[in-house]
Amino acid sequence: MLRIRRAGVVAATAALMVMIAGCAEKQTEGDSGTSSGPIRIGAVLDITGAGASLGVPERKTLELLAKQLNDSGGINGRQVELIIEDNQSTEDGAAKAMNEMVSKKVDIVLGASRTGPSLAMRAIAESAKMPTISLAANVRIVDGATWVFKTAQNDSVVLENIIDYANSKGWKTIGLLRDASGYGEGVAETLTELGKPHGITVSQIEKFAPDATDFTAQMINIRNAKADVNLIWGIPPAAALAQKSYHQLGITTPVLQSHGIGNQVFLDTAGDSADGLVAPLGRLLVADQLPDSDPQKAVLTKFLADYRAAYNEEPSTFAGHAYDAFQLAVEAFKAVGTDKQKVRDYLEQVNGFVGITGVYRMTPKDHSGLGKDALVLVTVSGGKWQLLPTS
Amino acid sequence: MTDLLQLLLAGVSVGAVYTLVAMGFVAIYTVSGVINLAQGEFAALAGLVAISATGSGLPLPVALLLAILTVVVVAAVMQRLTIAPVKRMTTLLSIILTLGVSTALKAAMLLIWGPEGHGLTPFPGADFTLGGVAVRAQYLWILAVTALMAVAVTWFYERTLLGKALRACAEQPTAARLVGISIARASLLSFAIAGLLSAVGGVLASPVYFSAWDSGLALGLKGFVAATLGGLVSIRGAIAGGLVLGVLESLVAGYVDSGLRDAVAFIVLIVVLVVRPGGVLRQHSVARV
Repeated sequence: MLRIRRAGVVAATAALMVMIAGCAEKQTEGDSGTSSGPIRIGAVLDITGAGASLGVPERKTLELLAKQLNDSGGINGRQVELIIEDNQSTEDGAAKAMNEMVSKKVDIVLGASRTGPSLAMRAIAESAKMPTISLAANVRIVDGATWVFKTAQNDSVVLENIIDYANSKGWKTIGLLRDASGYGEGVAETLTELGKPHGITVSQIEKFAPDATDFTAQMINIRNAKADVNLIWGIPPAAALAQKSYHQLGITTPVLQSHGIGNQVFLDTAGDSADGLVAPLGRLLVADQLPDSDPQKAVLTKFLADYRAAYNEEPSTFAGHAYDAFQLAVEAFKAVGTDKQKVRDYLEQVNGFVGITGVYRMTPKDHSGLGKDALVLVTVSGGKWQLLPTS
Repeated sequence: MTDLLQLLLAGVSVGAVYTLVAMGFVAIYTVSGVINLAQGEFAALAGLVAISATGSGLPLPVALLLAILTVVVVAAVMQRLTIAPVKRMTTLLSIILTLGVSTALKAAMLLIWGPEGHGLTPFPGADFTLGGVAVRAQYLWILAVTALMAVAVTWFYERTLLGKALRACAEQPTAARLVGISIARASLLSFAIAGLLSAVGGVLASPVYFSAWDSGLALGLKGFVAATLGGLVSIRGAIAGGLVLGVLESLVAGYVDSGLRDAVAFIVLIVVLVVRPGGVLRQHSVARV
């Protein structure tokens, strides 16, 4: 009897150990942020889970930039140490990782990749007075914030582009199929508000989970709503699967997508079904097609070449969000050192920083710093991004 | 009407995948009383292996066979290493053990295939529209192969000597051993069968529903709910349970709220456990070994 019980205990313990091994994370030891020693940049990214197609290229970008910076001598003679944590695309994971960053006393935190986790980090950043640059879209991340900035275009900026485009085409009703998580929240409200002067209304709202794989039900309701144009608001792979389902159910209404689709995963997953869609996206995807007079062209071309050389693949717009956050942080450290208050003050008055996503003009009221011109309308043809000629 | 048919088609096809996973749960539980929480991971693993195999240039049928074979071997090894050494298995102990295996498999898949989800190339065949209902060729593959597997498994358990031997282990282990049936070998076989069923489900589902390191969790949970609908001991119950669950999810998403899709499985589970713990399809619960 005793032997049997022991076997059970051993087995249960073994199983428990396997589980713990699965959950274990790399611990990084380090001392507090001072004016000597390496500058420590924390990053909390959606590396696994629903946001993986965002977080992975962001991690690659940060690693690439940190290496480049250290090889060229660092910031004012100080090396940069990058501490990356995975929030598993969850809000609680992001909050936990942010708390760890605070207790490790890093000099700045970059992240998270998506809106939900970023919102979870915001409160901690504010109370710990930690300069934080989010890589996500929703304006609520920085609205009224003191310590939080962000590099992705505000959704309102994206929606302005969409309303302008719909207006130029004479479309009056929009069917919205949106991500049910933080990224899609407030989209319908902003769209309604921006569309009002043009007589454009949202006629149908459908939602999907960020990790959804079947969209038949939502698409049927969208099809029956018979709007002039439909807007899919999500990130890959869900946004791509929705696009596929849209095409597969034979819906011929023109379809728009958000700026959340700017990566190769979207094109690979959506395949032929992506042809003809229109989306306001960052310039990175169509850098080769931009005129030389474009102010971002030089920055874009260099980053494209570096990223391709390092990883033998195309960078996504999300990689651009990480690039901008990292470079903004570096600019701040170069100018004012690592004092947190000074770094924050510096970030707030950034004016004319040319990044991958756009040209940043921060103000105390606007911690995003990007306007409507940070996006261009892009379509897909033959599995490639194409700059839509401005009409 | 077209909408209803479209929703039903989507529901039946996802339900068929649940069915395959659910039959795996039943295959193992009836023989050894083990609830195998790694059942969903078997499906995810099969999808990922098939994707890698086609990616390295193997033709689709070879890739599918390779993926299924890999998972059957993994299932058998899992039984040898974690289930067989335990002298007196209880259901609770089995849950702890297989949860560990499931976590280990997930971690291994994350290391090998990375965090991003992928889709297997669809099986041959063109999509078409029938009476306003858009039909994907892959849906037909899923339904046809699942039907085939369901018939084969039912036939195996009810008509062949080996299948009857497996059922005997479940119903009368002592008597089964007296007539010369090896319980250990029966348990091994049941794991291989479960691996096969889940692997088939995994490769069928991959082109439509994608495979990722963590996609096994949802599949496993829903397969388990489907199996519970049939009381965990009936293959026919598992088949019906999977289809009912898939259709219910699709209809709720279509007519009630698309956000409730994933809640359906758990609401069903709670209702079944409270109202009919022996399964919806069974007249009365039978004492288990």
